[in-house]
Amino acid sequence: MITQTVFSRPLKAAFAVLIGVAFIGYLSPLIWLVLSSFKNRVDIFATPPSFIFHPTLSNYVVAFGQKGFGTNLRNSVIVAVASSAIALLIGIPAAYRLSRHRSRFQGAFLLALLAARLLPAMVLSVPLFVLASDVGLSGTYVAVVAAHLTFSIPFTVWMMRGFFLAVPASLDEAARLDGCSEISAFFRIVLPLTRGGVAATAIFLLINSWNEFLFALILTGRSTATLPVAIPNLLTPIGTFWGQIAAVATVTVIPVCVFAFVVQKYMVAGLTGGAMAGE
Amino acid sequence: MTGTGLAQPGEVSPHSVQRERVTSAELRRHRRRSSVLAQAPSLLVLAVVVVFPLLYSINLSFRSYSLVTPNHTGQWIGLDNYTRMLHDDDFHHAIVVTAIFVVAAVALETILGLVVGTLIDRLRRTRRVAVSMLLLPMIVTPLVVGLMFNFALNAQFGYLTWAMKSIGLTAGVGALNSTPGALVVLVLIDVWEWFPFVALMVLAGLQTLPKEPFEAASIDGASTLQSYRYITLPMLAPILGVAVLFRATEAVREFDKVYVLTGGGPGSATTVNDLYQYRVSFLDWDLSYGATLGLVSFAFVLLLSGVMYRTLSRKEVQR
Repeated sequence: MITQTVFSRPLKAAFAVLIGVAFIGYLSPLIWLVLSSFKNRVDIFATPPSFIFHPTLSNYVVAFGQKGFGTNLRNSVIVAVASSAIALLIGIPAAYRLSRHRSRFQGAFLLALLAARLLPAMVLSVPLFVLASDVGLSGTYVAVVAAHLTFSIPFTVWMMRGFFLAVPASLDEAARLDGCSEISAFFRIVLPLTRGGVAATAIFLLINSWNEFLFALILTGRSTATLPVAIPNLLTPIGTFWGQIAAVATVTVIPVCVFAFVVQKYMVAGLTGGAMAGE
Repeated sequence: MTGTGLAQPGEVSPHSVQRERVTSAELRRHRRRSSVLAQAPSLLVLAVVVVFPLLYSINLSFRSYSLVTPNHTGQWIGLDNYTRMLHDDDFHHAIVVTAIFVVAAVALETILGLVVGTLIDRLRRTRRVAVSMLLLPMIVTPLVVGLMFNFALNAQFGYLTWAMKSIGLTAGVGALNSTPGALVVLVLIDVWEWFPFVALMVLAGLQTLPKEPFEAASIDGASTLQSYRYITLPMLAPILGVAVLFRATEAVREFDKVYVLTGGGPGSATTVNDLYQYRVSFLDWDLSYGATLGLVSFAFVLLLSGVMYRTLSRKEVQR
């Protein structure tokens, strides 16, 4: 930290190349998946693996055109957007109150939210499945969205509480003294200052819902299945359509990767559910 | 309305503090009402989707409820599910597999994350690029992570199988088809996916370290390695602890990757706890027993995180 080792120029270049190769090797499973989605059958099953091939879009055309993965894509978008919007809408006011008032009740609320975050999805999957079947919601969007709220509400409250705590309370108190109501002080002063935080929270909510598998597997039906639930259907005993799997998987992963770059700054906070403020 | 108050946000005179106290006394009732308005929706929704299902699950664990066995429609059977759990060899095996998986994966992730995090901290211009590369495995859909390794490790045409064969690491069968091999692969995939998390935490921790101890150490003639061992590591210990806590509580619930990678096989070599519960509940449709196993697992996760949290905070007090 204090003593920076001084390298000569060629040594530095060699070091950089080494790091580059290490990263390509590290990310190779992902790169290979994306490459394979543009390969035809012959190139996919080639041994030794084919690195140079004629790219084709047929996997995408078959998967999304003929096999109906477009529907699954739409389902994934609907579930992610709906659950994230609801979580933000009801989570943000709760988080704001938590950041501005301390009481025994608020402390207990915060702790309960933490316990909810530790709750394994498998534990809730059984009762949610039985209850959803009992009330006739099994296989509907409502069931999955409700299940996703079990983790997205605690996440929103913890994340946003951190962002609200960073806004000094003297700011909204000053506004209150000037005659703002608590609600208008929140909308006029606090919310504009935490726009970045709201955006980051929204993106993490979308990613988490998009990536979720178990609840979606149990609670969706044929017409409401999200992408992660639908992909394994291509692993059949008769034969596995690896090209199409790669194509659908690529489409599943690309939006997540793009979004992740946007919220890179908040990654530590996002991955620890707001428990750590991070960089 | 907001103009003057915003102009000098930092200025809080004793007078205004006093005024605030008066108004807060007047507004207490109003505040309580708006508190209810702000938090009632989230409490209500969580009560419906978390608390009630959890209570329902506890109730279910004392009954026999199966969708395929006749006469198992919710009869009260007391603690039968719990005693059955104590004699369930498959469950015990799943616990052992999970324990091996969690301990091995989290240990490797911690070591590798510490090393890589420290190295990246020394990068200057390439640092941002390096960090963004490391983020990818963590945010990629876990199911797709399982799938892409299933693809890469395919015994016939997987490029990783081919690479391992050419350096003589595996003979013929493919790593996923041998009993120790599949679990080792599962651990390594989890390390691939999650060591960046530890690295990221280490990186964040390194940036908050004060400079003075290092200056003092270098004046005293300590080598880089010595100051890393005796200053950096102890100061990083709390954040490493938090990282381990997070990883452990998440690895205990491993499901997506195993589901699509091995389905628990070969045999039951990679049947982790959550996969076993999935089989009980949603393949054998023994929902009441599945609920019991889930509740016991949750109790264990709570206990584990409680104990780890206590040890962590005690360490912090000592320092």
